[in-house]
Formats: sequence, structure tokens, C-alpha cells
Amino acid sequence: MIIKSHPGEGLLYQYAAGDLSAAMTLVVGTHIDMCKACRQTVCEIEQKLCEENLDTLVSVASTTMSKSQCDQMLEAIFASSACNKQTRQPNEILSLEGRRFTLPRTLAHNSHRIGEWSKLVGKLWRAPLTLDNGNQTNLIYMAPGAKVPEHTHKGQEATLVIDGVFNDEKSEYRDGDFVLLDPSRTHTPETQDEDCLTLATLDAPLHFTSGISRLLNPFSQLFFR
Amino acid sequence: MQMMSERTSTRGSMTTTQTDAADRAAELLAKIAENRSRAAFSELFRQFAPKLQSYATRQFGNEQTAMDLVQETMTNVWHKAHLFKPDRGSPSTWIFTIARNIRFDLLRKNKKRKDDISADELWPILSEQNDSLDDGYALDHDVLMQEISFYYAQLPDAQRVVIEKIYIEGKSQQEVSDALGVPLGTIKSRTRLALKKLKELIVDDN
Repeated sequence: MIIKSHPGEGLLYQYAAGDLSAAMTLVVGTHIDMCKACRQTVCEIEQKLCEENLDTLVSVASTTMSKSQCDQMLEAIFASSACNKQTRQPNEILSLEGRRFTLPRTLAHNSHRIGEWSKLVGKLWRAPLTLDNGNQTNLIYMAPGAKVPEHTHKGQEATLVIDGVFNDEKSEYRDGDFVLLDPSRTHTPETQDEDCLTLATLDAPLHFTSGISRLLNPFSQLFFR
Repeated sequence: MQMMSERTSTRGSMTTTQTDAADRAAELLAKIAENRSRAAFSELFRQFAPKLQSYATRQFGNEQTAMDLVQETMTNVWHKAHLFKPDRGSPSTWIFTIARNIRFDLLRKNKKRKDDISADELWPILSEQNDSLDDGYALDHDVLMQEISFYYAQLPDAQRVVIEKIYIEGKSQQEVSDALGVPLGTIKSRTRLALKKLKELIVDDN
């Protein structure tokens, strides 16, 4: 399957550097699970970031570790016990409305964070995926023949197609397609004969300042006003 | 894709010193994983701690937090050395991604609550589980051990012998060089070529 809509290079850099919000990291990371080309690009970016940040030693004289500091830290490390955080089993099957979806790796690792599904108007369902304080993404399920009225977005919205197909005025989006919408654009997402499961988020900083905060999801301003 | 070709050329121009340092670090990681060698770890620590400290100081502008990053990163390296996969990237890139994750968590430490997501859940680089990705790109150790023997037969004998000594017998490249009486540089290039060939075979097969 050819993925035609990818995160931009700048976004992949921010992802690899750890500079995105948790929500955006999850959406970009899930795209990367599904997209070999972006996975390769991120490997190369990580290597480049490493060369810039780690391999090139910028010595800051006053902060160099002394030998005793080194020895002390080594002792502490040898004395430490392997942190056995309780690891949750990834659950990669999602059942909904008689459909079974296979979740990509990063989502499967976070399946315990998926909340209750609630039915919205029309043929849409939504489940929140809670990440941390103020940060949330949503799984949106559109049954066949679903249509969302035209709307704009308060913040920057990222949508990733997990399974299925939807379209707006501009294009058609299928498995793995990553769509970034900015506030200036209006669009009307809809499904035709097939259904569609997507993961969607709003840019976190805008999320905070907008005051609409957590209830805000790609389509929610239409349903919750 | 101009960006990619630029990167490839950057890698191509890596100096011999850098390559040797990377090979040495990979050997040290293997020794830590196999024998819990404190000597190997101390050497690796001396190589990376100052670099991590410099990175962290620039990131946080706070010496104590910088030291926390160094300690937490190197603690992970000590306990998780077995998760380093030489065919996926250089040792320093692996260590950098661990530091990147620690930084992500340290930046959120103050407002962090018990159930908040952590970097390890977002970038599962230190996950013990063998996640299978959707194609042959993620060639992990278990795949090498269990399924790859079929592909061995297709390698030239000289490369196969080197790969078996390293991956099955767990020898370092230097030990293989000594055992076969072949220069170390030759062993390194045979390893690289063999891994590349194996990866191609497996990807094609899928």
C-alpha cells in the first residue's frame, strides 16, 4: 500500500529531537510505524541529530565532570537495580461496531489509554486517548456514508488514517496517510462506501491557550457547542 | 529527497577515527550485555559521559538536571546493553535516542502525574518485546537467530563464517580476526556486507 501523505521534514525533525507534544509524538510515531519511508528518514535524522548534539563535543570548561564525580556516578550505576517497570502487554486488536481493527505498534503499546467510545451525531464515534495533563488525542470512527458538516479548526490538527478511507474536498486519504490541517482551512470530511478509523489531535500549545481545552477534538466543536 | 542523499554523503565521509570509535563502542556494548563487564562499561562511560553532559547542559542550562540526564541515560545503557542492535544504527545514535527519551521525561517531571505517558511508551526503543513492524526493515536479533539460517546458505562462505562467529558464537570482531588470521578491517567489511546482503534477501522475500 502506497502512503501518499506524510508529515513534513520539519515535523519529523521535531519528532526525532523529542520536541513535539506527547499527543503529536503519538500521531507522528504511529504514522512512522506504518510508513517505511518515514521510518528510514527518522533513522537518518536521529543519526544527524546525534552527530550534531553528541558526537561533536562542545566542551564547556566549567562543567566538565571531575574524576571523583565520574567514579561516584559509576558506583551509583553499578549499585542500581534494573528498573523493572511493570510492562503492559500491547493489545493490538480494537473491536468496534462489529469491526476488528489491528492497531499499529505505538498505538498497541498505549491501548490501555483508550477510553470509552461515545456515539456522536450521525455515523461517528469517538474515544479519547489520554496522554498527560491537558494532552489528549482522539480515535474517531466514521461508519460508511458519514459526513461532517463544513468546519474550520481552532488549532493545528493532525489526522492519521489507521484503517479505511475518507475524503474531503481536496483529496482522498487511506491507511497511513497523515494530514495536517491549519486553522485557515475549512474542510468537510466524509466517508463513502467504506468506513474509516482515524487518530486525530490538535496542536497542544493552541489547545491550552484556546480555553476550549480538553473537549476540543477534530470535530467536537460541532458536537459540543 | 535531496535531504536523504546529503545525509548519505555525510555518512560516507565519516572518518576512519569515527568508524573505529563506533566499532569499539559496539564491542564494549556486546561485552556489557554478555559478561556484565564493569571494565567495558567504565570505558564506555568515559567516552560518553562528557558528551552527554555537554548535550544536557545546553538543553537544560542547569548542571544538576544535566547530571541527572547523564546518570539516567548511562544507567539505562548499563542495564539494557543487550537491546542495542548493531545492524540498526551506530552505538552513539542508540545512546542519543535514550538521552532524548530521558530529556523528554525530565522536561515534564514537575507537572508529571502518576498515569502520565512516558517517553518509553512513545518511543519503545527499550522495549523487551519483539514488536514486528509491517515489513522486513526491523531485523531484530531473534529473527536473525531463528529464521535467518535459511538465508545463510546464500551468503559467500567467507562472509557466512564471520557472521556465524559473531552472531552465534558471540565473538567480537577482534576475536574473529585473531581466530581466522584475517585483518580486522576485512572482518568489519565482511560483517557489513553480509548484514546488508541478508537484509536485502529478507526484504525481497517479504
